[in-house]
Amino acid sequence: MGHDSHDHKPKGFVNRWLMTTNHKDIGTLYLVFAFAMFITGGAMAMIIRLELFQPGLQFVEPDFFNQMTTMHALIMVFGAVMPAFVGLANWMIPMMIGAPDMALPRMNNWSFWILPFAFALLGSTLFMDGGAPAGGWTMYPPLVLQGGKNVAYLVFAVHLMGISSIMGAINVIATIMNMRAPNVGYLNMPLFVWTWLITAFLLIAVMPVLAGAVTMLLTDRYFGTSFFNAAGGGDPVLFQHIFWFFGHPEVYIMILPSFGVVSEIIPTFARKPLFGYVSMVYATAGIAFLSFIVWAHHMFSVGMPLGGELYFMYATMMIAVPTGVKIFNWVATMWKGAMTFETPMLFSLAFVVLFTIGGFSGVMMALAPVDLQYHDTYFIVAHFHYVLVPGAIFAIIAAAYYWLPKWSGHMYSERLGKIHFWWSTISVNVLFFPQHFLGLAGMPRRIPDYSTQFAEFNMMSSIGGFAFGLAQVFFIYIVVKTVRGGKKAEANAWGDAKGLEWTVPSPAPHHTFDEFGPVDLKKMAHGEVH
Amino acid sequence: MSEVNADQYFVPHKARWPIVGSIGLTATVLGAAHVLNSETTVTPWLMYAGLIIILVMMFGWFGEVIKESEEGLYNTGVDTSFRMGMIWFIFSEVMFFACFFGALFYARTLSVPWLGGEGTGLSTNEVLWNGYEGVWPTNGPAALGGHFEVLDPFHLPLINTMLLLTSSVTVTIAHHAMRANHRSQTVIWLVATVLLGAAFMYLQVTEYIEAYHLNLTLESGIYGSTFFMLTGFHGMHVTLGAIMLAVITVRVAKGHFKPDRHFGFEAVAWYWHFVDVVWLGLFIFVYIL
Amino acid sequence: MKYVIVVALLFVLFSLGQALFYLVKGKGQSGNTVKFLTVRIIASVVLFLLILLAMKMGWVVPHGIKMVPAG
Repeated sequence: MGHDSHDHKPKGFVNRWLMTTNHKDIGTLYLVFAFAMFITGGAMAMIIRLELFQPGLQFVEPDFFNQMTTMHALIMVFGAVMPAFVGLANWMIPMMIGAPDMALPRMNNWSFWILPFAFALLGSTLFMDGGAPAGGWTMYPPLVLQGGKNVAYLVFAVHLMGISSIMGAINVIATIMNMRAPNVGYLNMPLFVWTWLITAFLLIAVMPVLAGAVTMLLTDRYFGTSFFNAAGGGDPVLFQHIFWFFGHPEVYIMILPSFGVVSEIIPTFARKPLFGYVSMVYATAGIAFLSFIVWAHHMFSVGMPLGGELYFMYATMMIAVPTGVKIFNWVATMWKGAMTFETPMLFSLAFVVLFTIGGFSGVMMALAPVDLQYHDTYFIVAHFHYVLVPGAIFAIIAAAYYWLPKWSGHMYSERLGKIHFWWSTISVNVLFFPQHFLGLAGMPRRIPDYSTQFAEFNMMSSIGGFAFGLAQVFFIYIVVKTVRGGKKAEANAWGDAKGLEWTVPSPAPHHTFDEFGPVDLKKMAHGEVH
Repeated sequence: MSEVNADQYFVPHKARWPIVGSIGLTATVLGAAHVLNSETTVTPWLMYAGLIIILVMMFGWFGEVIKESEEGLYNTGVDTSFRMGMIWFIFSEVMFFACFFGALFYARTLSVPWLGGEGTGLSTNEVLWNGYEGVWPTNGPAALGGHFEVLDPFHLPLINTMLLLTSSVTVTIAHHAMRANHRSQTVIWLVATVLLGAAFMYLQVTEYIEAYHLNLTLESGIYGSTFFMLTGFHGMHVTLGAIMLAVITVRVAKGHFKPDRHFGFEAVAWYWHFVDVVWLGLFIFVYIL
Repeated sequence: MKYVIVVALLFVLFSLGQALFYLVKGKGQSGNTVKFLTVRIIASVVLFLLILLAMKMGWVVPHGIKMVPAG
């Protein structure tokens, strides 16, 4: 990294990282933390795939297997994907709108520094009597309440993560609404900023609901309340309603910023402005709105009045409309573009194709009568992994390749990047595609053993899993190598990419846009759209 | 268009307090988890130590912000950021209460009637809970916690409602006085508000004791659960609001704020109104309807 | 009567929300905030008196079942 004397980077670990108020440093902290969690959660997935390599119990106890599925999900959702996007938001949003920093820099520090503590708390349950939570990341009562000591730790860890997310989201909203350069209107903002604005709104709306739900779990377990106990007049299904009122917006919290990332990358490498910018904004808002009124499609098989089943079925299918608008716009952006296929573009293209596969299986499951067959099978597992791995994770990887020159000042090796791409893309499909067939054939999820007719597809899936895991270790190598050195990156690393972040030198100086004032709208991706 | 002035937006260079806050939070919940699991390796002191650390953090953090504000380091842009932070924080609080109100409505309009045999609950009622009628207030078909009586809404809850409403009137009067720059009047009305809030909390504790005498406890099925969790979280917010009001009172007495520039005051006043409105909702939905 | 009470409560919430809106919008000038907070406290007091009256007149009974006098 360049170390200019006028950069004012504080010296020493405590000053530079522990007490930092700098959005770029906090962004780096978030990204590094997210990556560490990604590898941790990935290691758990490897244990799961190892056990499922062949039928029968080979390596781990069933209870430990259940702990792995639960912790894998919690760590990936709250530790890897969400912090990675907050890290990207921290790094990029101030630079994209011409702001000197995030709006509330001290709170920004706190939102990050809660996370390591929260995950230490959650991880510590692995070493307790009775082990980690094993009732699934959805924490359904009464099963989750039958865990040992871990319930209290799980609940408190979720509380801390919630506090962190809410503070992060408040910061994003205040930054976007209040800190734009004087001449940047809402409809000049890059789409990544737009998607994050809407995501932050979702976060503030639903994280407190999750906090409330787990608080009820806590009091049911330790204080004798009856929220989820039918004998006392409560209802376990109530938890599912509250949880999914949080949970469905939550899945869009993980995918909307991915849409934003892809909407930045595709225009750059298609060398055309984004097609249908305004419709993209509306589609994002539409998806966010719909996310609040479709939650019970996760519960078709739990028992609901028929009217409820029908309503949630139709409402859910409506989500396909704004999502389709987005897919169409990305394809139309590429139409007759002068396309080149650098690594970030490859990952973005894979995102568009593979996320759409996950989207289609989602529409299949939206049909209540069919869902009764799919529910709790590997088909579900395949569906949400398609939207989260070649969806959200691929978008994060694409963003990392796209902005790494800006962050580190060096170009990554395009050859290694392409190897990483093909390795990941092939293995991720070997990993998850067979799970569709397993699910349709009736293999249940969250189970350490299975009937022998599922053996071939499981073995295939495990091989894909190991290969995919290894590919991400290779990714660490690429990133470290790039940060350490390599070809110097230009200020505009991609030649003619649009966006204010490409107007500052690479690596970006410690402080950017300190002289607060109007920016050149022509340099922005959508600066002249009106 | 953006609303920040062209002058420098204040960016602090060191944040000492967040990490203290994280340590405090972690100590608190770690201690609480140990207490809940009746483990003896760590005494409850860990929890108390954590709470004290959090308090120290808040004093230190807010003190720093107040000092910077009085030094005039904050331009209108920073001011707007704080306002936005406040409004979205409030929104998250609204959603938190909404979660518990949602649980109350769900139990009252759906799950309790289902247990009583309404709609698709017919066979559940026949087979599992035969004879259960599902009438609110209830502690469920198994009558968890034993027979209980509900509190008479005309007694303490009514007085409490009047107390809290009066406190909102006094805080509004203080607000008007602040704007007219009548500093001593502002202080008097603020003190009255804090005292009314304290009286409310005192009566709330009395009411809880009375409830436990009527055998209405946290373990009294869904009614006890929703009653104590809603009023309990509300009580926590009243306490928080009263502490904030007390701080504001001291600041007004010290000569902080100006008639046209007193965001800290307004935010706390608004928060107090918010806590009062939540109580009105509680009074209506928990005690009366 | 129940519905009147709920609608009145919604109105109180609405004016509280308006006050919040002006808390963010009004730069240092709290004129609108204090105005709507005053509206909301007056409305709340009126609602409270309404509830008292309704209970006195028997239009609303706590939880709909309790304390029905024998005569």
